[in-house]
Amino acid sequence: MNSENSVGELVSQPYKYGFVTDIETEKIEKGLNEEVVRLISSKKKEPDFLLQFRLKAFNQWKKMKEPIWANLGYPEIDYQDIIYYAAPKKIEKKESLEEVDPKLLETFDKLGIPLSEQKRLSNVAVDAVFDSVSIATTYKEKLAEYGVIFCSIGEAVNDYPELIERYIGSVVPSNDNFFAALNSAVFSDGSFVYIPKGIDCPMELSSYFRINSGDTGQFERTLIIAEEGASVSYLEGCTAPMFDTNTLHAAVVELVALDHASIKYSTVQNWYSGNEHGIGGIYNFVTKRGHCRGKKSKISWSQVETGSAITWKYPSCILQGEDSIGEFYSVALTNNQQKADTGTKMVHVGPRTRSTIVSKGISAGHSSNSYRGLVQIGSKALGARNYSQCDSMLIGDQAEAKTYPYIRSQQPQSNIEHEASTCRISEDQLFYLQSRGIGFEEAVSMMVSGFCRDVFNQLPMEFAAEADKLLALKLEGSVG
Amino acid sequence: MIRQDAKVILDIVDLHARVEDQTILNGVNLKVRAGEIHAVMGRNGSGKSTLSKIIAGHPAYDVTSGTIYFQGENLLAMEPEERARVGIFLGFQYPIEIPGVSNLEFLRVSTNARRTQLGLEELDTFEFEDLVNERIKLVQMDPIFLNRSVNEGFSGGEKKRNEILQMALLEPIVAILDETDSGLDIDALRIVSSGVNQLAKPNTATILITHYQRLLNEITPDYVHVMNAGRIIRTGGKKLALELEKSGYEWLDAEPGNQGGLNHG
Amino acid sequence: MDEYLQWLDSLPKASGALKAIQLRGRESLKRLGLPNQAIEEWRLSDIAHLKKIIQYPYVKELNQIFDEENPIKSLVDNKIQIIIDSQDIHKESINLPKGIRHLNQSELEQSLGHSIEKCSFMDNWTVAMNHAATMEVLGLKVEGKNLPLIEIVIPSQRDSFIPTRVIIFVEENAELELTQIIQGSQNSVHSHVIEVHLGQEAKVNHGLLAFGEMNSSLMANIAIEQNARSNYSLTTVQEGWLFSRLEPRVVQIEGQAHTNIKGLQISKGKDQIATHSLVRFDGPEGTLDQLQKAAAADHSHCIFNGSIEVPRIAQKTNANQLSRNLLLSSNARIDTKPELEIVADDVRCAHGATVSQLEEEQIFYLRSRGIEDDQAAALIFKGYCQEILNCLPQNKDKTQIMQKLLRGMRK
Ligand SMILES: Nc1ncnc2c1ncn2[C@@H]1O[C@H](COP(=O)(O)OP(=O)(O)O)[C@@H](O)[C@H]1O
Ligand SMILES: [Mg+2]
Repeated sequence: MNSENSVGELVSQPYKYGFVTDIETEKIEKGLNEEVVRLISSKKKEPDFLLQFRLKAFNQWKKMKEPIWANLGYPEIDYQDIIYYAAPKKIEKKESLEEVDPKLLETFDKLGIPLSEQKRLSNVAVDAVFDSVSIATTYKEKLAEYGVIFCSIGEAVNDYPELIERYIGSVVPSNDNFFAALNSAVFSDGSFVYIPKGIDCPMELSSYFRINSGDTGQFERTLIIAEEGASVSYLEGCTAPMFDTNTLHAAVVELVALDHASIKYSTVQNWYSGNEHGIGGIYNFVTKRGHCRGKKSKISWSQVETGSAITWKYPSCILQGEDSIGEFYSVALTNNQQKADTGTKMVHVGPRTRSTIVSKGISAGHSSNSYRGLVQIGSKALGARNYSQCDSMLIGDQAEAKTYPYIRSQQPQSNIEHEASTCRISEDQLFYLQSRGIGFEEAVSMMVSGFCRDVFNQLPMEFAAEADKLLALKLEGSVG
Repeated sequence: MIRQDAKVILDIVDLHARVEDQTILNGVNLKVRAGEIHAVMGRNGSGKSTLSKIIAGHPAYDVTSGTIYFQGENLLAMEPEERARVGIFLGFQYPIEIPGVSNLEFLRVSTNARRTQLGLEELDTFEFEDLVNERIKLVQMDPIFLNRSVNEGFSGGEKKRNEILQMALLEPIVAILDETDSGLDIDALRIVSSGVNQLAKPNTATILITHYQRLLNEITPDYVHVMNAGRIIRTGGKKLALELEKSGYEWLDAEPGNQGGLNHG
Repeated sequence: MDEYLQWLDSLPKASGALKAIQLRGRESLKRLGLPNQAIEEWRLSDIAHLKKIIQYPYVKELNQIFDEENPIKSLVDNKIQIIIDSQDIHKESINLPKGIRHLNQSELEQSLGHSIEKCSFMDNWTVAMNHAATMEVLGLKVEGKNLPLIEIVIPSQRDSFIPTRVIIFVEENAELELTQIIQGSQNSVHSHVIEVHLGQEAKVNHGLLAFGEMNSSLMANIAIEQNARSNYSLTTVQEGWLFSRLEPRVVQIEGQAHTNIKGLQISKGKDQIATHSLVRFDGPEGTLDQLQKAAAADHSHCIFNGSIEVPRIAQKTNANQLSRNLLLSSNARIDTKPELEIVADDVRCAHGATVSQLEEEQIFYLRSRGIEDDQAAALIFKGYCQEILNCLPQNKDKTQIMQKLLRGMRK
């Protein structure tokens, strides 16, 4: 098939979010010590409990070792060569959008996330986070009518300290792992969502994370609480400029669902992934975990992971409430020199808990894509069920796909089923599509999106189309 | 064959049942006398298989009220295997495959369990083989299937023949055949129905669950029942089956008044 | 640790044909130390059992050949039986048919450890342990076809540590049917290593039956090197050990070969029974069919870890792995961890895993035919095992084995 050549010649689409916003920022010195942790806390005028939380985490972190089991093979990170606090100067107060630096608004405009009154998205409330600092949250008032709180973590610390104190670190303890401990010590900002009892959040909530500085570590923290009978759908998007150095991003996301509550958390991750030689890009080490605390609660993760030089991420569910449900739908695409190690943990604690895992990994170029999963059925999880499916697709003979699905069961009255397959785009299928007049690139992207269909179906409408396009862009030039 | 003086051997009284949170049977009443052949028809999902599995004692279904008497005894109090031993037989709509379990051994163990109940001697392997070889002719099944695992890799028709073979070995008193005719070609249908006819005795009864008139051409029912939404809503003679074949079940939607319609007693 | 080093020093002086691997094994053991749970491959293992080994005297000759209570004496008639009951294998006394002979000294020196190396087993702790201690090796060369079954029986002795070592070189086009029977007895510890080299188009059907007894332990490594167009089938059964760790590794050095692995592990009481398998394709167009079954009852623990490696060179590999587990008690535990590493795009790999109890619908079917609850469960459990037993070489009467498997499994 001559398509091999024709495709090989196509060049990768440039990363269109790679620009840098020229804006004055306040940064502290590089390096991390107790003073830095105190400084961050004082700059944010935090209550004492949070400072103590940070200090405890910092002390734990000092004793921990960076995990190496994921075999991601990145060069050693010098944690003293990173700036742990940076904020756009004019951000201090942002009572109204007018006070936000127009350059920032312009930046988000360019990213397709207009924030201003006239242009903002009609049915999505957005929390825009620039270098880990929340600069604006739209539709706050409208949400407040329903009692829904949607603001930055920083604001929430001041306005709702009792909620923060109660829930922060309750799902991801500060010593959970190396990166979670680091985040707990130095986290900058992020989003906070609180859905009161019985409320079905009237609009999609969304955080958009933008990394701008090259030498600053990014440590946001997100906390979502759905009270009894509440439900919410939350989206997260992210981009970063192109630097030829690596930026560390270590985020923590905690979700809490009480009785009958449901949280749907969708991510489209498109951090800068480095160039085709693997220079630059984000190191993305994220701890995401949801706790189905109440009975019949539900937490659903959907993610489309296309960016970052390195991704290390396992959105998980602790299914404690009886009859609670955990879901994980993931598409992870790696190209060039990218490395992704992602998957999920479903920990079944309560009786009749159910979980579903659908993971689609696509590896192209010289990249490496691993699925790592754990399904654990505890001895009290009578009648628990899990179904997992993880498929890999390889494009080109230099890419790697690895699958490590780990199953542990201690409850005979439970059922676990795992299926996995590896395939490639078959020439016959391609030929069939082409013989019906479909262009090669289009045929490939049709097959890739067909491969990912089960996951895309789980994304909120606006995102699904976006994700499809994103994959097509990412893959351009990689086939053959 | 209807004989009003014949003994009632199976008596289902106001049976209600559900699975998980869903109610499936809504008050089924059915009396079966010795010598009779009953046909149960009705749309998919109306509860026919559920009824048959409850008679056989499937643990997934909860009987919420009502009773089933078999020869005067409370059938619901018995374990599934006891029911089989006293003479209840269910030919499954979807016979399950059991890899690794030898069909022959399975048949022998179950036949001996029934024989013990009847006060007969257990058969040793040789005697049993003779018996199987004799009964297998009835369903014209290739003996090769005896050496396979239970139903494993059997075609739809082969599974159904295997069911009838089991019936021939267990010699039940009440045989319930759940869509045994589905998926059979005309020859296989003849073989299966002649088997059923030969096994019918004056002291036994048969309940046929079917969608098709063609089975009822081979095995003539004394009664035809129509099931809908978990109850028997109409009972008639074999003409009713012909009517249904012609006009389908749409009248069910049109005549809500028919709910709870007559039931023979 | 002191005890460990002392034990190492107490071993007989390295000598004979095995000198080189003995020295290597001892050196590895010193370097590796006792495994601990921080090492991924040992994470789930009950390490305490390993320490037992070094408490046992080193046995040169066994005086109790068969466990009288549960002898598996022989499975078939037409066979050559070799009993490794001492550290001096009386080669002369074994009557080998035409087409099969002992490896001579220089052949042994040449081939010993070759497949082990290929399977990256040299620094494996259990292999090192075996190599450090083993004093004699059974080496066979197979050159013909249609040979009688070779049955290697490895008995044991109470309260003893028994290392045994086998190497079989199967020439191009040759065919072999091989059954190994390892029997534990009270407090015995077995260490067994076998390497089998398959020449091009060679065919080997290999069965390994490992039956433990009270408190016995087993560590066995199987290293298989397959040349192109060879066909290797392995069927393993592990039961009755308090601690058993079986590690089969197969490397298709040129691809284009067929590998078939079937395994059954049954644990009860406080047993821990583990299988750690690895199959690597170092060439294109290889195939693998793997089915591992495990059943855990009482307070026991079954572990399966199955790696499949498909490097870049292994285009058109077709590999299938299935792990089917039965969890029979709420105090038992199953861990299963398939690992697939694929770096070639034109491959078909599928794997699956299930953990469940005995299937309710199947039990109901049998009950609806008058079969008692317990008996129905036993029948289905038997069927579950039968599928694996059917794959053993010279598939004749397996009732004896089945009885062993069923002992203690009924409620
Ligand atoms: N084990 C079960 N779990 C859940 N629903 C069931 C189960 N068995 C039957 N049902 C439901 O009960 C209804 C009746 O089914 P069934 O008895 O199979 O009908 P029929 O045999 O008349 O087609 C259907 O809606 C079916 O989905
Ligand atoms: Mg039905």
